[in-house]
Amino acid sequence: MGIPEIEDAGCLLCFGYNGADSHPIVARRIVRGRQKGMKIICADPRVTETARISDIHLQLKGGSNLALVNAMANVIWNEGLADIRFIEEHTKGFDEFLKVIEKYTPEYAEPITHVPADEIRRAARMYATTKPAMILYGMGVCQFTQAVDVVKGLANLALMTGNFGGPSMGIGPVRGQNNVQGACDMGALPNSYPGYQNVTVPEIREKFEKAWGVPLSDKVGCPITHVPERILHEKDEKKRIHAYYIFGEDPAQSDPDLAEVREALDKCDFVVMQDIYMNKTGLYADVILPATAWGENEGIYTCADRGFQRVRKLIEPEGDVRPDWQIIADISTAMGYPMNYKNTEEIWNEMIDLCPSFTGATYEKIEKYGGIQWPCRDKSMEDKGTPYLHKDGIFATKDHKALFYGTDWHPPVELENDQYPMTLSTVREVGHYSVRTMTGNCRTLRNLEDEPGWVQMNTQDCEKMNLKKGELVKILSKRGYCITRCLPTDRVKPGATYMTYQWWIGACNELTTAKLDPVSNTPEYKYCACRVEKIQDQEWAERHVMELYDDIRAQMGIDTGKGAES
Amino acid sequence: MNYFVKGNPDLCIGCRTCMIGCVVAHEGKHIFEVDPDSYSFNPKLHMVKTARLSVPVQCKHCENPACMAVCPVGAISQKDHCIVIDTDKCMGCKSCMDACPFGAINMTVQTGKVQADGSEKKVANKCDLCYGLPGGPACVRVCPTEALTLVTEEELGDAMERKRMEAARNAYRETHPQE
Repeated sequence: MGIPEIEDAGCLLCFGYNGADSHPIVARRIVRGRQKGMKIICADPRVTETARISDIHLQLKGGSNLALVNAMANVIWNEGLADIRFIEEHTKGFDEFLKVIEKYTPEYAEPITHVPADEIRRAARMYATTKPAMILYGMGVCQFTQAVDVVKGLANLALMTGNFGGPSMGIGPVRGQNNVQGACDMGALPNSYPGYQNVTVPEIREKFEKAWGVPLSDKVGCPITHVPERILHEKDEKKRIHAYYIFGEDPAQSDPDLAEVREALDKCDFVVMQDIYMNKTGLYADVILPATAWGENEGIYTCADRGFQRVRKLIEPEGDVRPDWQIIADISTAMGYPMNYKNTEEIWNEMIDLCPSFTGATYEKIEKYGGIQWPCRDKSMEDKGTPYLHKDGIFATKDHKALFYGTDWHPPVELENDQYPMTLSTVREVGHYSVRTMTGNCRTLRNLEDEPGWVQMNTQDCEKMNLKKGELVKILSKRGYCITRCLPTDRVKPGATYMTYQWWIGACNELTTAKLDPVSNTPEYKYCACRVEKIQDQEWAERHVMELYDDIRAQMGIDTGKGAES
Repeated sequence: MNYFVKGNPDLCIGCRTCMIGCVVAHEGKHIFEVDPDSYSFNPKLHMVKTARLSVPVQCKHCENPACMAVCPVGAISQKDHCIVIDTDKCMGCKSCMDACPFGAINMTVQTGKVQADGSEKKVANKCDLCYGLPGGPACVRVCPTEALTLVTEEELGDAMERKRMEAARNAYRETHPQE
């Protein structure tokens, strides 16, 4: 499926995905689909912009995703809405799956999910009977310790209703970061070379050794979320991480449990930071390599639907900056492995020749067709890529059959308790992208929102604590605290709080937990226990926030306009 | 008849691109070149979000504007299908703000002008349908979901005609339920 197909779906199940805040351009497709009569089921603990225009809003309790998904599967099976022919011809493991979902009746799921049983029934019926039905899921699925299980759970729903392999159906991961699909495609993963070729397979390793003329490791590397532990707690000197080269990433802002991240960056012998502006990680770097921004360099991005797209240079970069690929080539050369590429196309051509599923995606074709969705195996102009990965229900397994995979729901790791009675989930806001290394330097976006950001809280909770809109509050978890502004809203449920993670002062990752999904190694950003405290002296708090902000800016060497007076 | 910009909450995704488009249109592109703290960011429309609603709110360009009636210095007038404020005449009395039933007027700093107490001059600020600027209202042009429309006399006439047609069809269905 491709992003443009969203608007032609009969039914859209939007699960833990808030397009309006994370991808307004995808949200536009959802809005347009709605205008064309598409049914929308939105599963989200908040009233998002999509929830607002949906037919059914399943306002589930955070951390109950799999219970809801399994209950929908239970209804689809028990009410005879499953596509038996598709299940028989194209899948395996259905009977084992049925045993798992048997107990997930809507009545069983209701107290876990806080969604009325009849609403779950209504949603399951709508999803199963409206064709074609598409699923989009976002970080509200992925950023839990039970994440991969839920993705498989959503795939189960699409499999049992035959919603795979055609236009406007299937399940779409709408990614958390720009070009995260491209980073994975290019092998920026601990276990694979470009093109998802596993580092542990000897023939693959030998192919890359031959092409690059160097011996390569046959061991899986370290996931980014394991780095702090490998710096701080690794007993084996040989396994401990001593040097950390970070580019286009700001772990001192974006990673969970920032106190631990700072300790790790402090203890690490050598930190290199390569980015377009100074950021919090830069404060811990031994070396800073300034890179060019979008518009100043060329290359290829992959969008969420596996489509390779060209990005082009608009202006010549000014000052002492260079494109990432040139910096990497120079570092490599300096370390004894000369790289002499003339341009990005040369690098691309080397890569596609080593990756069978990308071989046909030449610059020429991407240019001519505007984009190519992989797999694209043949260089002839006729091979235009693969819009549907599992076309006609033929799956990328040995026997071409999809596998049902049922698991039981388990709760998040850190639950509400006497000391920390509320929950915190980190979210996005439109206007500021990711850690805002880019958007924080865009003046009009800064005019709309600036430090120290907001905590979204239910109006009843705010009334109980006598908190008004804009008031500075202290929010704490057992790992740390920060100060931010209170935003009372009826779009969130009582007991739950939400913060965006890009603010330097209102840095919600001071609070989040570094517990990970066992397969994806993604942290549980969407759930931890917290407490909100009123600050009596607001004048002090306002001054304090300004001082903290000025301090960080001064440390970063940002001209605050105050230097001349002092 | 005066025109006005209308937001459709079924299309709006609350992104506030309209507010930035508004400021850039009125301040001019120089705001991208000057010191970021030296210009005033005063959109003439405001995003309103409730539990189940997101939509920008702005001046309705009333036919008998309360703001115009209460202005003691005649700074508000009707020009080319819209109601505009002459910021040079405005004395900052806030009567118009008080009178407007839609909360469409606020006070803003008039860059480069100084008032009696030596501080920057403050004047009334509201939508002027991008009066005098080429291309029509900027908010309508920049909205990514086309949630904003400029409602003109013709537009309103068409909409009324569609509604009358629908009313007639409904009346017919009521008397002929079997068809």
